[in-house]
Amino acid sequence: MSERKRRRGDPAAAGSSGKTKIRSDASSSPLLFKNRLKPDSIILATLQQLHAAEQSSSSTGKVPTLAELGLSSTCREVSDRDPAAVRITIEDSILAAARSILEGRGFSFSVPSRSSSNQIYVPELDRIVLRDKSSIRSFSSLSTVRKTTITVRLLALIHQLCTKNIHVTKRDLFYTDVKLFQDQTQSDAVLDDVSCMLGCTRSSLNVVASEKGVVVGRLIFTEQGDRIDCTKMGVGGKAIPPNVDHVGNMESDALFILLVEKDAAFMRLAEDRFYNRFPCIIVTAKGQPDVATRLFLKKMKTELRLPVLALVDSDPYGLKILSVYMCGSKNMSYDSSNLTTPDIKWLGIRPSDLDKYKIPEQCRLPMTDQDLKTGKDLLEEDFVKKSGGWVRELELMVQTKQKAEIQALSTFGFQYLTEVYLPLKLQEKDWI
Amino acid sequence: MDSEGSGNSPIERNKRKKSNVKSAKKGKGSVLKQKSPAEFFAENKNIAGFDNPGKSLYTTMRELVENALDSAESISVLPDIEITIEEISKSRYNSMIGLVDRERVDEELYDDFESAKAREKRLAKEARALEIEAKKPLLVKKMKDNLHGRGPKGRGDASFYRVVCKDNGRGMAHDDIPNMFGVVLSGTKYGLKQTRGKFGLGAKMALIWSKMSTGLPIEISSSLRGQSYVSFCRLDIDIHRNIPHIHKHEKRENKDQWHGAEIQVIIEGNWTTYRSKIFHYMRQLAVITPYSQFIFRFVSEVQEKNITVRFARRTDVMPPVPAETKHHPSAVDILLIKHLVEESSKQNLLQFLQHEFVNIGKTHAERLIGEMGPDFSAKMPVKGLTSQQIVRIHQLFRQAKFDDPSGDCLSPAGEYNLRLGIIKELHPDMVATYASSPQVFEGHPFIVEAGISLGGKDVKQGLNIFRFANRIPLLFEQGADVVTRTALKRINWSSYKINQMQDKIGVFVSIVSTKIPFKGTGKEYIGDDISEISSVVKSAIKQCCLQLKSKIVKKLEARERQERKRNLTRYVPDASRALVEVLRELKPGKRQRLEDDELIRKVISRDITEATFREKLTQHVEQVDYEMALEYATQRGVREEPREPIYISALEGARSSSILLHGPVFAFRLIQ
Repeated sequence: MSERKRRRGDPAAAGSSGKTKIRSDASSSPLLFKNRLKPDSIILATLQQLHAAEQSSSSTGKVPTLAELGLSSTCREVSDRDPAAVRITIEDSILAAARSILEGRGFSFSVPSRSSSNQIYVPELDRIVLRDKSSIRSFSSLSTVRKTTITVRLLALIHQLCTKNIHVTKRDLFYTDVKLFQDQTQSDAVLDDVSCMLGCTRSSLNVVASEKGVVVGRLIFTEQGDRIDCTKMGVGGKAIPPNVDHVGNMESDALFILLVEKDAAFMRLAEDRFYNRFPCIIVTAKGQPDVATRLFLKKMKTELRLPVLALVDSDPYGLKILSVYMCGSKNMSYDSSNLTTPDIKWLGIRPSDLDKYKIPEQCRLPMTDQDLKTGKDLLEEDFVKKSGGWVRELELMVQTKQKAEIQALSTFGFQYLTEVYLPLKLQEKDWI
Repeated sequence: MDSEGSGNSPIERNKRKKSNVKSAKKGKGSVLKQKSPAEFFAENKNIAGFDNPGKSLYTTMRELVENALDSAESISVLPDIEITIEEISKSRYNSMIGLVDRERVDEELYDDFESAKAREKRLAKEARALEIEAKKPLLVKKMKDNLHGRGPKGRGDASFYRVVCKDNGRGMAHDDIPNMFGVVLSGTKYGLKQTRGKFGLGAKMALIWSKMSTGLPIEISSSLRGQSYVSFCRLDIDIHRNIPHIHKHEKRENKDQWHGAEIQVIIEGNWTTYRSKIFHYMRQLAVITPYSQFIFRFVSEVQEKNITVRFARRTDVMPPVPAETKHHPSAVDILLIKHLVEESSKQNLLQFLQHEFVNIGKTHAERLIGEMGPDFSAKMPVKGLTSQQIVRIHQLFRQAKFDDPSGDCLSPAGEYNLRLGIIKELHPDMVATYASSPQVFEGHPFIVEAGISLGGKDVKQGLNIFRFANRIPLLFEQGADVVTRTALKRINWSSYKINQMQDKIGVFVSIVSTKIPFKGTGKEYIGDDISEISSVVKSAIKQCCLQLKSKIVKKLEARERQERKRNLTRYVPDASRALVEVLRELKPGKRQRLEDDELIRKVISRDITEATFREKLTQHVEQVDYEMALEYATQRGVREEPREPIYISALEGARSSSILLHGPVFAFRLIQ
């Protein structure tokens, strides 16, 4: 601590050292990192390289399907289906239930289990998939009668949606029968069960989540025929449409996609027009990503073939969010193929950045016991283990017991993030 | 005393000289002064639980009650105890001591004097309060009462109480009475055994307190069994000399062959603040001694405030009188060994070791003497032991291994009695009890008994902890106690299907020992740091919980069974409606299955409607419920109504009759 202070309070040494390597410890006051910045043109050239590499590689790289891996019998996956097909499936299960009732046997549904014990990480796919275990949800058992009733009620509602081909939000769905559903978590959970049971994505059920994600930057697309230019969206950005099916004709001259965990950092980047200095598309889901944002990111990545760089907090939670983008959440593992965007590069803030960029002690927070536990649990996760760089960073975090948020960079001025930190990171290709 | 610096001035020096002379005369400063035990306790009355008037009233009552219990138990008579607390107004008190009531003349002299301005303020405030209250008609009466009883209360307004405790115990011999009450630290309860008393102070401390607060003497009536007269004694205590000061000591007629003691003392107290403590105490005492009967009366000057509570007898099984025991070698210190040597009637060392301690047999004693060294021999006279030799014996006692003392000398409340006590006082829905085997802490045996009750009347939600040490309730300093800590921190109630926040849980733990390791001067709690005790407490509570768990599970199952049908039926309309909603949308002719087409046609032709589904589902639910109930019944057997045990207490004095008739579940005797 005292040593660090002394070093920081020695600007003469820093001034004379002039251009030194970033990683050298004998460096200077953090504000002088700015001096290391090369002209934007050089940084842009670096980004061009990254962009070019992505453009060429993704054309060749093909992700194998479950069937190709011989897992189709043991794993379950859903697919996008048109409303008519969904309707037929619903009608079949309703008819089966009706017949069973008329025969005096009550009724039940076979619902795939979405518990974590029924999930595996498939390294070849680099995401979590659901296995094929399922349970019987019967009307005549006390423990399941409620869920069975909610299931049949939701089936009826979705049938109606598919017949009329309209979209509603999860909240709308909940409000159709508040008395039965009691609270939204219950109807949401059963909705996931239903989409799993019918073998189609949640979007094909015509149910969307309320919009949460925002996008800004060098992107132009059409939403139900309306042309939207994301450079002209002000500071707030364009809300990511809940239904990605309505998005089409994506065009962009960006070199990369910048994924931001936090709303605050997103606003800073948007206000400073970071995307004009370095052509990019900036996306945030304001915390844990919702389905729409994940679908949107996936769509951008596959259609535009852009590299994705992530800016998250240096804490286990930030990493967890990153993992949801990349490998999918446990809750939605049945639809992981549509929701995950593999190959996201972790730009920052990484635990090693704390010292490298001399983030002062008072801006770092001690990790709570809960944080430490989450961190250690993450180290056991397969998607972390496969990347040596990630393991090293996470180990460093658990070892130093320190975390920092993106906002910690504001110590050096509010615009340090956009003017120094990010450009420097890009210049140094400091991502893993 | 003067400081060093002022020694220069001749005048000062002179003064000092004078003062030195004076102090020497008066016996001030370093001169040795003796204090009688009575004086010591008068000055440190908080040690014995006389911290303030309120607590003094409480402690006086409990000391008298505990003496009464001991007295009755010592002659194996079911205790019948009457306690009366009578409020005495100041004017009555004054007339009792022959002091004329004086009106205040110079009001400003008093602490509670109210200046004109302050009074104005208060009256305005009260008027305002009254106005507000007047709007709520129901509360008016209450409010008036409050106003009446309020008024500023100064320091001088002490309240006085007459505490009377009457028992049917052993009684005291006529000539012993003055010394039993008038000498502090004398008593019949010294010696190594399980006793209720704390310091052997008991009634004496009440006497000291009465002397300090009211100056009125204590009155004792007592009669031994079969004695034709009742001894009456009125006395107080000479605190400085620790001797009784007898006012009156006479024999009176014993008309109804009463035996026991009645003690009456008038003290300063505070009923309002300690009323709840006194009731808690009585209730808990009733739990731990269900074989005794208490009648508690509070007599007030105001008629409506009078209270009479009767704690009825529930059983006539009494725990045995605790036996006096000898010391365990690992529990003695040097002083105690010296004392034992002095007191011992045994001549030589071998006999001394063998007879003054438990768990030392003859061969064991010989081996011990051999180990002590060449200075010792079996035949050496025990009175001739030097101090060094006693230290050596003590050292050996510390290091050598001895068998644990047995718990035979202890007299636990008994699982049976504890259970009855809990049922009697709390009327719980469920109760479980457990008694540990005797355990040892520092050479003293102890037994832990625990009871857990669920539900009941006058029980708060959450944990209600009842602590007993040597069969008396502990009410104060609950937070740090081993029982409280264990129940709160170390028991995972939910794993026994008990909801720590919502259920009414009664936790009863009774610890008996020849020496309870109390913490703190008040002897009100047992520390949490003694692992021997805390682990036994924990396991005893757990055992109770385990017993309860199976009962609770059964109860939950039964409740589930009762509610199954209702819960399933509740969802029938929702499910039927949803199904029909979809079916109505369907058109026939597109299906692969023929039945499906037929079903859809029937829905369209209204042969099958929502009502059909409702009916079918309800039928199904009923059938499922019936099947489950049948299964439940075959598993559990036919359920019987719980049997309620009853107890009819014996008619006093009618025990002379002869034949006892035994039935399979009862026994009865013909009486005249």
